[in-house]
Amino acid sequence: MAEEKICSEITGTVWKIEMGVGDKVEEDDVIMILESMKMEIPVLATCAGTIKELLVDEGSAIAEDQVIAIVDT
Amino acid sequence: MSRHEELAQDLEARRARVLEMGGQEKLAARKAAGQLNARERIDHLFDPESFAETGMFATSHIPAMRDKSPADGKVCGYGRIEGRPAAMVSCDITTLGASSSLTNVRKMGHLRRTAIRNGMPMIFLNETSGARIPDTMGAQGTGALGQDPEQFIRGREIPYVAACLGASYGTGTWYTMLSDFVVMRKGACLAVSSPRVTSLAIGEEVQLEELGGWKLHTEKTGLVDYAVDSDEEALDLVKRFLSYLPSHAEELPPAVEPPDESAYDGSSITDIVPAERQKVYDARKLIAAIADPGSVFELKPRFGRVATTALTRMGGKVVGVVATNPMFKGGALDPDGCDKITSFLVLCDSFHIPIVMLTDTPGFLIGVEGERRKAPGKIMNFMSALQMCSVPKLSIVTRKSYGQAYLNMGGSRNSDEMAAWTTADVGFMDPNIGVNVVYGVTAESDPQKFEELKAEISRETSAYDLAAIYSAQSVLDPRQTRQWLMSMLGVHSRGRERGFSRRALANWPTTF
Repeated sequence: MAEEKICSEITGTVWKIEMGVGDKVEEDDVIMILESMKMEIPVLATCAGTIKELLVDEGSAIAEDQVIAIVDT
Repeated sequence: MSRHEELAQDLEARRARVLEMGGQEKLAARKAAGQLNARERIDHLFDPESFAETGMFATSHIPAMRDKSPADGKVCGYGRIEGRPAAMVSCDITTLGASSSLTNVRKMGHLRRTAIRNGMPMIFLNETSGARIPDTMGAQGTGALGQDPEQFIRGREIPYVAACLGASYGTGTWYTMLSDFVVMRKGACLAVSSPRVTSLAIGEEVQLEELGGWKLHTEKTGLVDYAVDSDEEALDLVKRFLSYLPSHAEELPPAVEPPDESAYDGSSITDIVPAERQKVYDARKLIAAIADPGSVFELKPRFGRVATTALTRMGGKVVGVVATNPMFKGGALDPDGCDKITSFLVLCDSFHIPIVMLTDTPGFLIGVEGERRKAPGKIMNFMSALQMCSVPKLSIVTRKSYGQAYLNMGGSRNSDEMAAWTTADVGFMDPNIGVNVVYGVTAESDPQKFEELKAEISRETSAYDLAAIYSAQSVLDPRQTRQWLMSMLGVHSRGRERGFSRRALANWPTTF
């Protein structure tokens, strides 16, 4: 089983986490929503699999390209 | 047996040997790996019985290699795709690694010139190890190359399409880079040189995926439009892409029977696009809700996703749609998004495809990384390409459109006709940022003052304000979008030019 790192494409703050560890995801499913540029911008799964780790909490400040979750593919 | 019969038998025997390609053992190994061979790919690509081969008996120019080089490793010919002609080279990796040689380069040159002269797309099915060794060794080997001074010029007289179906280096990569559409089979590699050559050259181990894998090219470089799991899927995408393009630049894109307009219902648009500006949506769903059913064919879907570019049909006619996509980075245009749009504008203008732009963007994504990646240059390439486009250009502001990005997305007279949805918000800068820039007040430092100033700075930014000075020619209920576009595509039909573009972008590079 391979691991895929899910990164944020943009700087922002975690507003809402939509998935939990162990949840199954499809490509383009919303894992969490960031608040950035006064918008609610989703972080999407880049592959299908199972959420292995969530590396941030709601309210965390996120940098561009920061790994926010790991998906087992 | 007459002499004619003897010669005919000899011809058939020679044909049979060529069709064996690199031998049964190598062909069986490919089949076991689930990969089509060069001739099976042709069968999948072309209409049945339509393939006419050229250069079947071409071989290596080195006498000792003649019997080991059937078709000299590159199967070339002409055929039909859904009845329309196309020229094609299919690399036979089982024959000397489909390496490029003096003879097969001559074959490909003739094929390319014939395709351009007669007006048919050129298709490259690539899987090649690069230049043939020892043929190109030494001054005489290398000096014998490069005999065609126009080999690498793209005037887009015809579409070029490439499928990277295995390891592809050297000439295979060069033609892929010159193509208007590229599809790649996962597991293939697209690079200047092989991982082995590269590892030896730089003194460290390089892996195939890292050097030229599908993720690199569909997500980071944008050199590849699609990555798929099988040869068949790749060839089907080649056919799909070509179904939107004319065979050559002297004809218009192929139209199909228009759908029943009375069945169209635009009410889903207001479900897809929230009126609240802080909420995002997927522009791909909006495009699907506007275009003819099932007609949307997105290009580079994994690259520069702040922008969506798609070939579609409206009323059966081909239309190119450019949309900023708030789903990714809020739709803020970054350098990759600019490059993606520019290459799409070039494609549309070269092949007479009208352009529709749908705008919902907070502007260009600013930052140090963007500047390092030449953001200002990318923005001006995009703007320059847009102004050079002579196909019909229609622009709609759906929600946000600020500053230079407003102009890049066809704002004011950068499109032939512009509309603004009732939800449009147009100004020099996102008001949330503008309050801080102009007045030095933030939402955190003084919330009440911030809201007052935001209301002030947000005045006169509506669709009606834009329409009042005639920079938007119409204000639309979002649900009327398709009807307005269909009507305006009819008005801006370029009747005097019979729908043809001036093709000022036809010589724009394929990558930049």
